[in-house]
Amino acid sequence: MYRWRRRGEALFFVLPILIPLIVFWIYPIIRSGWISFTNWDYMTPEYDFVGLKNYKDLLSTGGFFPALKNTLVFGLGTAIPVITGGFLLAVLVRSLKKGSKFYQFILFSPWITPTVAISIVWTWIFEPDTGIANIVLRFLHMPALQWLHSSQTAMLSVILVTLWKTLGYAMIFYLTALAKVPEELYDAGKVDGASKLALMRHITIPMVSPTTLFLVVLNTVNALQAYDQIQVLTQGGPSGSTRTLLYLYYQLGFEQFHMGQAAASGVLLVIIASVLAGIQFAVSKKSVHY
Amino acid sequence: MENLQALKLPSGKIAQERCITRTAKTGKLAWITGEAVKHIFLAGISLVMAFPFLWMVISALKTKAEVMNTEVFWPQEAQWGNFAEVIFHSPILRYMGNSLLVSAAIVLLQVVTGAMMAYALSFMRFRGRKTLFLVVVGTYMLPPAATYIPGYIILSQLNLLDSLTGLTISCTVNIFGIFLLRQAFMQLPYGLVEAAKVDGARPWYILWKIVFPLTRPTFITFILMSFITSYNSYMWPSLITETPDKALISQGLRMFFIEGGAYGTEWPKVMAASAVIVIPLLLLFLFTQKWFIKGISDTGMKG
Repeated sequence: MYRWRRRGEALFFVLPILIPLIVFWIYPIIRSGWISFTNWDYMTPEYDFVGLKNYKDLLSTGGFFPALKNTLVFGLGTAIPVITGGFLLAVLVRSLKKGSKFYQFILFSPWITPTVAISIVWTWIFEPDTGIANIVLRFLHMPALQWLHSSQTAMLSVILVTLWKTLGYAMIFYLTALAKVPEELYDAGKVDGASKLALMRHITIPMVSPTTLFLVVLNTVNALQAYDQIQVLTQGGPSGSTRTLLYLYYQLGFEQFHMGQAAASGVLLVIIASVLAGIQFAVSKKSVHY
Repeated sequence: MENLQALKLPSGKIAQERCITRTAKTGKLAWITGEAVKHIFLAGISLVMAFPFLWMVISALKTKAEVMNTEVFWPQEAQWGNFAEVIFHSPILRYMGNSLLVSAAIVLLQVVTGAMMAYALSFMRFRGRKTLFLVVVGTYMLPPAATYIPGYIILSQLNLLDSLTGLTISCTVNIFGIFLLRQAFMQLPYGLVEAAKVDGARPWYILWKIVFPLTRPTFITFILMSFITSYNSYMWPSLITETPDKALISQGLRMFFIEGGAYGTEWPKVMAASAVIVIPLLLLFLFTQKWFIKGISDTGMKG
């Protein structure tokens, strides 16, 4: 009797989230896998099973590799400056006697504002003729850029906006990590006569390395999922120069209605993300109790 | 002696090492200069980071002619009318209302169902708990976008496309929130919940009357983070809603931008609309900053 009650209670606690989890997460992922083997076009109810054709097309002519390259450029182009910049800012802000809360507020604030709204502001900043970015460049006697309007600089612009938005976020992660480094380590280092740089290299950086790994994975997964800023700033253009994997997925599925190919690119996205998450999980397992 | 004093100063400040090698007086001077240099540097970076917000407001207060004139930095006369026009003669407030409504509903759903799941995973013993936890872990870093095509079909089969209800129920699951709560629950003394169980308390009562009051800070963080994410969300809502009346702010703002800014010269109004949406969030953040930072610290613990 008691056992049944306990089971009923467990079910009551789990079902309210398990049902939407199955309906909107697990089933769709499986269904995506199925759709990726068909030539469904969304309009007609009939479709055929086409085997691996979608994957072959995607990998040969479907633009997977250019999009993968763009995703990599975007991912590395944001992750490296965000992580190094976030770390240096955290060290600097933490060393302050006063005012660290103020800087945290300013540097972190872009992260909580809607990407669409701030991307619109950046579109205005990047306007080639009247935008402030080129006014500043001309003032510094540097050549004006076409920013979002040229395939040479569009990715740079998207990276700048993303960098601006996430820098403070990384800084906060590092501030937390720095606060957890035991003070005795530094004291011991100083007694041994270690220089500031040596303390940084042999104590600080190794001690915050779990955070660094976490941020690398987080930034990569975020790069895989970046959509809002690309949709507002460039729509994947000019000439596909900012078309990342997710944007390719969106265009195939919701602009061209090639549902089979779109689902195939979605499956590839899931595989890449799973590998990354697996790495993160395996490495962090040692220091974490789930 | 001096060495000892330097070491006793609170938390490893870079400047204090200078005190070790110099006399107290020049040490203090060097420390002050060091502090000033840091402040100047950080103030410069802060100005750059805050500049898009400032430029948004400055541009919103200009006339159409001023905004196109590259010689003009400040508006000659602040055009508050741009704000009035956006607030009273555009659907922006309606979009904000939609966003507030949907976000509030989503937060409520996510927090209640997430807390129940976290409770089940932390304190209940039942068959399949391990499997369930693995499923939750497995979903953690998946790109939600991969579910959008079938998700779209499911909503259309449920006849919930282009509706705020469909949007809300399709966002019930917040895996991050489950982790956050579970982490907080696991730190409670296990005996606490066990004792309540022995006393005959039901799980629902234990969760909301015992566990919740003790983990309230984590709940606050979860609520704020979930709210901001829903309020700012764009891709999924824009895929499943078509009627402009049902747009959330991001989608609504983008429609407004395409009409007025991207292909026109209505930049002051587009900037005013952006400001109307961004400023309340900045204010909210001003008063809730520590909860966001707590959320990040708790996430960081895993990494």
